[in-house]
Amino acid sequence: MSNNYFNTLPLREQLEQLAKCRFMDISEFPDGVEALKGKKIVVIGCGAQGLAQGMNLRDSGCDVSYTLRAAAIAEKRQSWKNATENGFTVGTYEELIPTADVVLNLTPDKQHTAVVNAVMPLMKQDACLSYSHGFNIVEEGMKIRDDLTVIMVAPKCPGSEVRNEYVRGFGVPTLIAVHEDNDPKGEGLALAKAYAVGTGGHKAGVLMSSFIAEVKSDLMGEQTILCGMLQTGSLLCFDKMVEEGIDPGYASKLIQFGWETVTEALKYGGVTNMLDRLSNPAKIKAFDLAEELKVIMRPLYNKHQDDIINGTFSRVMMEDWANDDKNLLGWRAETAETAFEKTPAGDVEITEQEYFDKGILMVAMVKAGVELAFETMTAAGIIADSAYYESLHETPLIANTIARKKLYEMNATISDTAEYGCYLYNHACLPLLADFMKDIKTDVIGKGLELSDSGVDNARLIEVNAALRAHPVEAIGSTLRGHMADMKKIV
Amino acid sequence: MTIRLEDLTVNFDERFQLDNISWQIEDSQHWVITGANGSGKSALAAVLAGAGQQLSGHLSGVPARVGLVSFEAQAELIEAELKKDDADIMDVVSEGTPVREVLLNGETDPALVHELVGKFGLENLLDRAFRKLSTGESRKMMLIRALASNPDLLVLDEPFDGLDVDTLAMLQGYLASLVDTVPMVMVLNRFDEFPGFITHIAYVDKGRLEHQVARADETAYGELYKLLHLKTTDLQVPGADPETAIPVLDPSQPLVKLNGINIKYDDKAIIKDLHWTIERNQHWQLSGPNGSGKTGLLSLITGDHPQCYVNDIFVFGFKRGSGESIWQIKQFIGYVSTALQWEYRVGTGLRNVIISGFYDSIGLYSKCTDRQRQIADQWLALLGMSDRADQPFNKLSYGDQRLLLIARAMVKHPPLLILDEPCLGLDDMNRQLVLALIEKICASSETSVLYVNHHPEDQISGIDNYLELDKR
Ligand SMILES: NC(=O)c1ccc[n+]([C@@H]2O[C@H](COP(=O)([O-])OP(=O)(O)OC[C@H]3O[C@@H](n4cnc5c(N)ncnc54)[C@H](OP(=O)(O)O)[C@@H]3O)[C@@H](O)[C@H]2O)c1
Repeated sequence: MSNNYFNTLPLREQLEQLAKCRFMDISEFPDGVEALKGKKIVVIGCGAQGLAQGMNLRDSGCDVSYTLRAAAIAEKRQSWKNATENGFTVGTYEELIPTADVVLNLTPDKQHTAVVNAVMPLMKQDACLSYSHGFNIVEEGMKIRDDLTVIMVAPKCPGSEVRNEYVRGFGVPTLIAVHEDNDPKGEGLALAKAYAVGTGGHKAGVLMSSFIAEVKSDLMGEQTILCGMLQTGSLLCFDKMVEEGIDPGYASKLIQFGWETVTEALKYGGVTNMLDRLSNPAKIKAFDLAEELKVIMRPLYNKHQDDIINGTFSRVMMEDWANDDKNLLGWRAETAETAFEKTPAGDVEITEQEYFDKGILMVAMVKAGVELAFETMTAAGIIADSAYYESLHETPLIANTIARKKLYEMNATISDTAEYGCYLYNHACLPLLADFMKDIKTDVIGKGLELSDSGVDNARLIEVNAALRAHPVEAIGSTLRGHMADMKKIV
Repeated sequence: MTIRLEDLTVNFDERFQLDNISWQIEDSQHWVITGANGSGKSALAAVLAGAGQQLSGHLSGVPARVGLVSFEAQAELIEAELKKDDADIMDVVSEGTPVREVLLNGETDPALVHELVGKFGLENLLDRAFRKLSTGESRKMMLIRALASNPDLLVLDEPFDGLDVDTLAMLQGYLASLVDTVPMVMVLNRFDEFPGFITHIAYVDKGRLEHQVARADETAYGELYKLLHLKTTDLQVPGADPETAIPVLDPSQPLVKLNGINIKYDDKAIIKDLHWTIERNQHWQLSGPNGSGKTGLLSLITGDHPQCYVNDIFVFGFKRGSGESIWQIKQFIGYVSTALQWEYRVGTGLRNVIISGFYDSIGLYSKCTDRQRQIADQWLALLGMSDRADQPFNKLSYGDQRLLLIARAMVKHPPLLILDEPCLGLDDMNRQLVLALIEKICASSETSVLYVNHHPEDQISGIDNYLELDKR
């Protein structure tokens, strides 16, 4: 059984690792991909991240090829097609791993122990092993051969974005880290930096962090605000609207595309801008609802963070892995059977503004979730920059997946780990909000306020506006968004 | 009464021809005819006053009394005066016809003549010989004579030319007072001089009446403005930025060399064993039906096609797949296509879109230099969009976006400019705008143009190499 690496560290070290996070300026990357020049990069797995990162690295002048498990090659699976159709060399572990100077492990996290155990003996002396998520090292305590350098380069976006942004001449925010126990020659940082340049990440902002901070914050974000909150919110809002007699097709559409539309506003100007899209009375309403939600949900956010930090979450999830994913598969099937998931979006026109006006509760849920996740993470010692990327920054990206094909698409796109955490959250949050939902009417979800007079009390409005702008996620957000000078429109 | 020109072809001394003009002027309308120099706009105006030889078609409804002011009419009058001089040589030195007589020729209203002479402040010239007047003065007299002749149609070719500000305002005001009395047709070259009462604009190019636009149609009016601007401006294509210079290429090497390349999708070959070399300073046209692999071929050159790594491709000194990055390739290429336009969904300002061409990025992610800003502003001036530098790109019309993307592609003066169906999806006016811009670029830079299209009518002068792909 695995051994949680984080838990083996003394408290002092734990705190130090959690707090590791520094925003790197683009001027810190003068050497470009030089550290990778002349090196042979072999990527294990050609899925979402594998393909996108490999294409970017190749377009940046690196030598990239793919290794897949033998069955994937023999059966010409999608991963094999991804690689060959794009003109890459594909080979078995035995063929390619021994030639590799840098091995990128881009297989699903659940497979990491098996994959790393299979490739490690084949790896060259002094080569480098890289991850895009630190679960295997931090939660499973994987021990890597002493001569190997271990780094992490984790794009904070789905694979499709990683590629698209690169092609635009930009990149996605990226977190890099060196596993200090495995940096025998002290070249880990140089390699990680070159790799981040190769994927375009340096243009959008690189956070120099640690394996531990990455894992503990990534897990927290994905299971709470990013996936858990959107799933729970979708189910609750849909059922409420139908219960109140709103056309199910309309309700389905309002939610499916509503998350994407309201969170798009986050990208431009954070939570403040999202609420500024509402009329004054609606803004005050959303603010009040969010305050109420935060009080109710705070213990749940704390519990998730605690379980993640002390290893309970990963232990329980790994027990499920060992149990043939019984819980995960059961929950996945259950989600597929929900009324929201089964009701197709109606053929009705909903304007962009209408998503805000009629989705006040959804706006409130996003606000509460983003702020709670951010507050909980920073209280656990995670640096604000990191907490921002793992909460507010990624919310619109996940909301996009719901717009494509509802919860099914979201859960299919995110990792199994995120999906597992999402269901955990969902199961705890649904009953937690039951009482709150009893008082909810269509004025905040489905119909909008429909006021003839949109006047508000000046003092109250000033108070709400000030509170919105004073939240710490807004300060770090505007700094980090400033680095991403340009914003594109995705809707 | 309605003036009708139906499919009218008019010849002017073999020198110039107006072709197949179909046009209708209603009593209540006031037209401006506009176009570049030599386009035939003055000729079209003169046709209304009976000039030219009608070869075919019909002209009807032109009233008997047409008040005409134009350089030609002015020149004729002066020439006639000089001839009189010759005829009178005898012994007395002729003074020529005094202005008073030219103005009060029996067809004009004397009271109105005096009123207008007063308005123009020309009282002291009434007794001077007409031929002794300066060009400006005689032109004003022509105007007075035309206005006072109680015309049923006024044809004024560049009536505001050379007038000082006060006189211009006076004349514009006076003309405005006539709007309910007489229909007017004016030849004007500058949009800012179009009087407010103008209801329609006719745009003439190469002897053809290309566009008729109602003033009230703001979109069409705006486009016509830009077209006229591009055709008539003295502004040139802005130069390259010396500070962001593209590396110098080895002049003995071709820009692009494709050695027996193949493109396949799922075992289906789209392009098979194609050899193609683009030398420096060559212009190429690439054509072929949809599905013949045009875009695939281009993306092998630009580095956007993944199969560029499994083909024998040499571009701008790099053998593909030898450790170069796509950004090293893209710096030598300017690229415009419909796909790029779809990709380019950014809310950034127009100036930034142009500057992004220096960085080969979609959107601007780097801090630009002052010099780059200046150059971008020169491009905006050329496009007639200076007043919109900070407006969001995605709010522009489709045609304007295309123009801007061409400027973006060209801003760094790349050795190779690839225009992939640059007129696709554009209406006629915007097509002409785009072609006008491309011709301006071709004429004033050392860039090799690779032009892709399947519309034979969208020819660009100066292209003399052709590659045609077959459908597979
Ligand atoms: N998705 C994201 O948004 C995201 C963002 C940042 C980081 N990451 C990280 O990136 C890594 C890859 O995630 P992903 O989303 O790209 O995964 P993915 O799309 O599921 O792709 C996984 C790839 O690994 C191969 N694979 C699966 N099981 C394998 C096994 N037992 N042995 C060898 N190969 C196997 C699969 O190919 P075959 O099944 O055909 O063999 C597939 O090509 C993970 O560490 C993840 O945490 C993901």
